[in-house]
Amino acid sequence: MNIIEVTDLKKSYHEGADTIALNKVSFSVRKGEFLAIMGPSGSGKSTLLHLLGLLDVPTSGKYVFNGKNTQTYSSNELADLRNREIGFVFQSFNLLPRTTVFDNVKLPLYYSNIPESKWEEKAQEAVESVGLGHRMFHSSGELSGGEKQRVAIARALVTDPEVIFADEPTGNLDSKSGKTVMAIMQHLNEEHGKTIVLITHETSTAEHSERIIRLMDGEIESDEKVKNRLTANDEFVK
Amino acid sequence: MTWKHTLKTALTGLTTNRSRSALTILGIVIGITAIMLVVSLGAGAQELILGQVQGLGTNTIAVIPGREPTGPSDVSFLFSDSLKEKDVVALKNRANVPGLKSIMPTVIGAGVASYGSNTYQVSIFGATDLMAEIFDLHPNGDFISPDDVLSRSDVAVLGSKVAEHMFTNGEDPLVNKIKIKNRNFRVIGVLPPTGGGSLFNFDAMVLVPYTTAQDYITGKKSFSRLIMQAVSDNVVQSTADDITLTLRESHGITDPTKDDFTVQTQQDLANRLGTITSALTWFLVAVASIALFVGGVGIMNIMLVAVTERTREIGLRKALGATDRDILTQFLLEAVLLTAIGGIIGIILGASLAFITALGLSQGLGVNWTFVFPWNGAAMGLSVSAMIGLIFGGYPASQASKKSPIEALRYE
Repeated sequence: MNIIEVTDLKKSYHEGADTIALNKVSFSVRKGEFLAIMGPSGSGKSTLLHLLGLLDVPTSGKYVFNGKNTQTYSSNELADLRNREIGFVFQSFNLLPRTTVFDNVKLPLYYSNIPESKWEEKAQEAVESVGLGHRMFHSSGELSGGEKQRVAIARALVTDPEVIFADEPTGNLDSKSGKTVMAIMQHLNEEHGKTIVLITHETSTAEHSERIIRLMDGEIESDEKVKNRLTANDEFVK
Repeated sequence: MTWKHTLKTALTGLTTNRSRSALTILGIVIGITAIMLVVSLGAGAQELILGQVQGLGTNTIAVIPGREPTGPSDVSFLFSDSLKEKDVVALKNRANVPGLKSIMPTVIGAGVASYGSNTYQVSIFGATDLMAEIFDLHPNGDFISPDDVLSRSDVAVLGSKVAEHMFTNGEDPLVNKIKIKNRNFRVIGVLPPTGGGSLFNFDAMVLVPYTTAQDYITGKKSFSRLIMQAVSDNVVQSTADDITLTLRESHGITDPTKDDFTVQTQQDLANRLGTITSALTWFLVAVASIALFVGGVGIMNIMLVAVTERTREIGLRKALGATDRDILTQFLLEAVLLTAIGGIIGIILGASLAFITALGLSQGLGVNWTFVFPWNGAAMGLSVSAMIGLIFGGYPASQASKKSPIEALRYE
């Protein structure tokens, strides 16, 4: 079953002359797949991720997410869909400052329909699943970059979404922390069956995935399976 | 998002930036403090004045010669000699004014009183024995008696300041005589100090029988005022009406607009003074409201800065599932909380200042000033400050809610 099906997706911006960021993009992602989207800057990969993540709406084309034709959805319905079925991991972490790890991870639950009585348990579980149980009540400012990104992953997991969209998750990290993050991603994909869509410009990161879509000037240049898939072994993943 | 968590989120937003939040609400605090202070002091002043007016007895009715001026050019009747002895006779007739208990003609003048080489400018108040009852006077010595009035005696009751300035060498005033307009008056009593806060200040007055005052002080047969008492509070209005009719008949007036006298009840006076003090209070409230408005603009300014500063946070919240409405209520609630907290601080501060002022006034000036906690001012202050939050926080909050999540996440 496909969780993502895009057909002839187009996105253009009106800044003086029309700028076409994405054009005639069609592909689908199977539930439980680990996909990497690559391309040089300006190739439209961030735009594509924003569209896939329902943060933005396409100029034209069809996007069916988890069986739902998102074109007909209102902004409130999209917000609800983002909350329930999508988790985001950003390059710059985007944690709330002066807020504990625990509270940062709890944040999506505020906007969810999950009863409050389960919040603590869910947040705690998510924090522990990224190996940060010992940092639960530390302020986000006290963490290293790698730890911050792991908190962000925990936050993305807390509502138990179908898909995790990661926008250059290792871009701001040293290689060791980057490896840890990728190990967690692979673990989530393989053990928990999460669909993962990852944006990166590093081939080494992309090769942790099963399949790589390369974008060039807003169009798909290639879409192929990864032959020698890398496995990030890490002490956090048991 | 539930209200509980919106509230929690808003509170977190405020507490993470404590010093800025504190500075932001300063304008609101000052505005509400000023309003509370003004309203409380206004209410205190009103209570003081009304208390004194009512202290004269709510059954008291006064007749003043001349009609109330109807405009700035209409002053001709202000100082008229319309009240005469025949009016008093007519009013005393039970058939005319059945509700009348007592009547006191008064004569007001001024002159220089002297004792030896000491002189003092005094107000001279010609009255009867009723004066002591109406104004609750307790002189040292005697007061004017009915006999004194009948026989036009040369007796005087001195105000405390008068006595103090005349008898500088410790003489006992009660055994001495003072001179007013070259006539000797035997001092029969001295009034205790009434204090500066009194509506009628007897301290610089000399009280004499009104008959004596007519003969030797003003030299006129007319009265300055007729002060009357109704038999009970219930008949004050009907008695006042009877007095009006009687005086019209006595003066041969058929057209009520040509009245050459004014009948005032204590209630009239209380109402009028009440109107003046509340008008003054609300004027000052209006002035203080300017501070609130400025405070509101300050809130808007800071909220706009906060919204810009927290663009990424807004983007993140939206990405995680916050709706536009969630963001709107979060920032709106922050603004309202901020101003409401400012309002509460202002209410407490204003009430404390008013309390201290009331304490200072009653101790420093010796007036009976009571502290009034202005519940209406507090309620108004709180609702106005919350309103300011809604109004001035509304624009920044709507700006925040309209941010597109991707623009917001991209914002550096």
